[in-house]
Amino acid sequence: MTDRTVANVTCLGCGCACDDIAVVVKQGRIADARNACALGAAWFGDGTVPAETRVNGRTASLERALTEAARLLTGAKRPLVYLAGDVSCETQREGVAIADRLHAAIDSLAATAATAVLAAQRRGRASATLGEIRQRADLLVFWAVDPTARYPRYGSRYTVEPRGLAAPQGRNSRALIAVDVGEALGPADTDGRVAIAPADEVDGLGMMRAAVEGRAAGVEERFRSVVELTRRMTAARYVAIVADSEPGLVPADPARAEALVALAQALNGPTRCALSTLRGGGNRSGADAVLTWQTGFPFAVDFARGYPTYRPQADAAALLGTGEVDAALVIGTPATLPMPVVAGLARIRSVAIGPRASAATFQPAVAMDAGVAGIHEGGTAFRIETPRAALATVRALRDRLGA
Amino acid sequence: MSQPTRLRIAGGTVYDPANGGGADGVVRDVCIEGDRIVAELPASAPRLDARGMVVMPGGVDIHAHVAGSSVNHARRLLPEEHAADPLPPPRLEDGSQARSGTGGTLPSTFATGYRYAGLGYTTVMEAAVAPLAARHAHAELDDTPIIDAGFFVLLGNDEYLLRQLAAGEAARARDYAAWLLGTTRGYAIKIVNPGGVAVWKGGGGGNRRNASGLDDTLGSSGVTPRVILETLAGAANTLALPHPVHIHCNNLGQPGNVATTLESMRALAGQRAHFTHLQFHSYGGAPGKGWASGAREVIEYVNAHAEVSVDVGQVMFGAATTVTADSPVEHLLHASSGRKWVNVDIELESGCGIVPYAYKEKAAVAALQWAVGLELFLLANDPWRVVLSTDHPNGGTFFSYPELIRLLMDRAYRDERLKRVNQKRLAGSALLDGLPREYTLGEIAIITRAGPARLLGLKSKGHLGPGADADVTIYANDPDRAKMFATPRYVIKAGTLVVEDGQLRRAPAGRRLAVRPEYDAAVTRDLKRFFDEYACVAFENYGAGAGAGAEPVA
Repeated sequence: MTDRTVANVTCLGCGCACDDIAVVVKQGRIADARNACALGAAWFGDGTVPAETRVNGRTASLERALTEAARLLTGAKRPLVYLAGDVSCETQREGVAIADRLHAAIDSLAATAATAVLAAQRRGRASATLGEIRQRADLLVFWAVDPTARYPRYGSRYTVEPRGLAAPQGRNSRALIAVDVGEALGPADTDGRVAIAPADEVDGLGMMRAAVEGRAAGVEERFRSVVELTRRMTAARYVAIVADSEPGLVPADPARAEALVALAQALNGPTRCALSTLRGGGNRSGADAVLTWQTGFPFAVDFARGYPTYRPQADAAALLGTGEVDAALVIGTPATLPMPVVAGLARIRSVAIGPRASAATFQPAVAMDAGVAGIHEGGTAFRIETPRAALATVRALRDRLGA
Repeated sequence: MSQPTRLRIAGGTVYDPANGGGADGVVRDVCIEGDRIVAELPASAPRLDARGMVVMPGGVDIHAHVAGSSVNHARRLLPEEHAADPLPPPRLEDGSQARSGTGGTLPSTFATGYRYAGLGYTTVMEAAVAPLAARHAHAELDDTPIIDAGFFVLLGNDEYLLRQLAAGEAARARDYAAWLLGTTRGYAIKIVNPGGVAVWKGGGGGNRRNASGLDDTLGSSGVTPRVILETLAGAANTLALPHPVHIHCNNLGQPGNVATTLESMRALAGQRAHFTHLQFHSYGGAPGKGWASGAREVIEYVNAHAEVSVDVGQVMFGAATTVTADSPVEHLLHASSGRKWVNVDIELESGCGIVPYAYKEKAAVAALQWAVGLELFLLANDPWRVVLSTDHPNGGTFFSYPELIRLLMDRAYRDERLKRVNQKRLAGSALLDGLPREYTLGEIAIITRAGPARLLGLKSKGHLGPGADADVTIYANDPDRAKMFATPRYVIKAGTLVVEDGQLRRAPAGRRLAVRPEYDAAVTRDLKRFFDEYACVAFENYGAGAGAGAEPVA
């Protein structure tokens, strides 16, 4: 086996989907992932994945596993299909087709950002692709998030450091403000910092919007710092408000998510503004996009009536929690699953297809290992906001199901 | 009926204006072998009795928003519409189930394919794809069955192009456009609000929110909407692309924009150019001083200039969703309508704006828009250059095409509808004066298939001569033209019977329509430098084709 370096590889370690990774392969293993952050390096690992096929814990042929998987799924009264991490859009498309055929419920990792998605469905969005924030933003407001932990290159590659059209000096052309909401702190190295109590956050966002729209009357002391921040915002040419839409220190709050959208939209009156919502990795944005184009809904879709219905209050975690589903097909890396989903899967019979499926802790009845999208197989993946780039096995299962 | 490897469509009244025939059609057989029309078949070939029926080539939609990043943002915004319009999976002739989906103004991909086929349309052009989202658009089109489809690639607000114009590098701009079409597997060059979206993205408040006129300078004195139009129109013509540059003018939807529209047309006098959704660009009056119809002035120019083609972008009463790369316009619409609003600025390239909307016949502006579109149709001299469109789903959805056809073919019906609309702003509208014209079936065949196919340079589409694609729609001849065109008796796509009496029978994949013009490869070295300097996507990963993302790494 010859050593080689593969340039411009895409990392799905977080939603940034950086595609400048140079992967050094030595003796069939990844020896280095240059340009990758620590999170990315961990995502690539040494590039090895198990290649097991198991039925009830025992090694089986692919043929037997597919037959058993089809039997299990078609025999279920109320199956669930779950699109987990590290699969391509092509694989996700096959997964939705299977759910359609089975009249199953289908959900994905995109549901972790449900609060932000639902807010965007109520109000819309004022947004930009990551690269446009790099080009345009002269004021970055980090709202209760420091991206360096979960999105390590968000600042260095996309928004804070690099030079852009309106930021010829890179970092020095941009002002950074941290908004600390209780324990949820913005980045350390900013040009300004304001704080607001968690209990005042939603009202504070409303006060800011009122100020932007010229409706603010008397401002209470507890809102003064954030309302003053709006003066800097309206004086900027292009504001980016950065917020995390994945679960974190601040509990997901529909009113907060909606207030962030509304503020960003209102800022497009006096100036320009984009709300940059951070999302996790594994191509979950791809799952959102694929479900939307195939069904009209981004997550928590139910084919029980033979056609897609939207049940955002009954996502996979809820369906598993109430015992509504009796079998599941998990497509993707089991280790990416949210804890409540894992706990629910442990109580029912399931099929897992994907990277390290055989290592799933919920003990699937049928496990078929597959490669990692972007490492072992090609295809398309989405960056947050932007398209980018275990297909064969999922397709074989689909054929078996006649879907 | 089995898979029609051979089929004689016998005794129908054939409307095939590309091959002559006139307004009344010709009673003759149409023969299909494989996926092509052939001159003759043996008498033993299977027959489809079409006596008394109307036979036309499959419909060709020259401008619709059906796939890609912006369309999907709009789908995601409208769960309530999808919930209200579920599509159970049609059962196909072989007993298998097709895919389920949802409708509304932006149907899911499978529903889009089935519903177009159900209307007898077999070719559709997605009208606006940002190059960065080309891969996404192709993936959606892969999930949009039956119809042959291509897309137009957004240019004219992209940083690389604007830099070439500032440097006076017209030849390099042309090479870039050619490279971009090839690398995205696109079909034509699309300009949306030349320069205006770049101004909007540039930020700041005050008056710099959009470009307003053809000679606005955009950053550099050498860059104006006029220069963008001239350069890209010239590029499309020099590259001999099958479709000329496809233009959405500046000042869409603004009262008084007829001046901008005419100036844009004059700027390109003598060159082939297609002006899209002309209705939205044909208003008299002035900003802040009210609206009036400007249709007559615009269509008279079109009538007198054979190099110009247009599609109308008719407004139809009912639900619509405005979705466009013209993001500054959507901000205005959000501000005036108060409805929910999506804006996505797309790095270095373009924009995306979305506002759900409804056109009400009792609303004065909507009624004017409706009237302006009809005036354009009814005052047009040459149907070959005036295509039926609603700018789906902006002026209305493609499901409303049959109703629009009735408005064009049935004066009594049209006059009846006219009485019901708000007439406050219709003074000066030719429609109010009573336009007697009724489109013939032959003219409908031109504006819905033969004309758009010719304007798109699709030589095997839009006609039924030997060698043409076997895309055929057969209608029962019904005096209610809306009913007739809403439910074709048979639809045949590439020789396969796909729809029979409103039922989907088969759902084969459609083909992709794309161009790959030649260019001087030197542009790619310059582009690589530009990407290294500014882009967040590797040059090698850009576009729709195979990049590092398409091949295994380890």
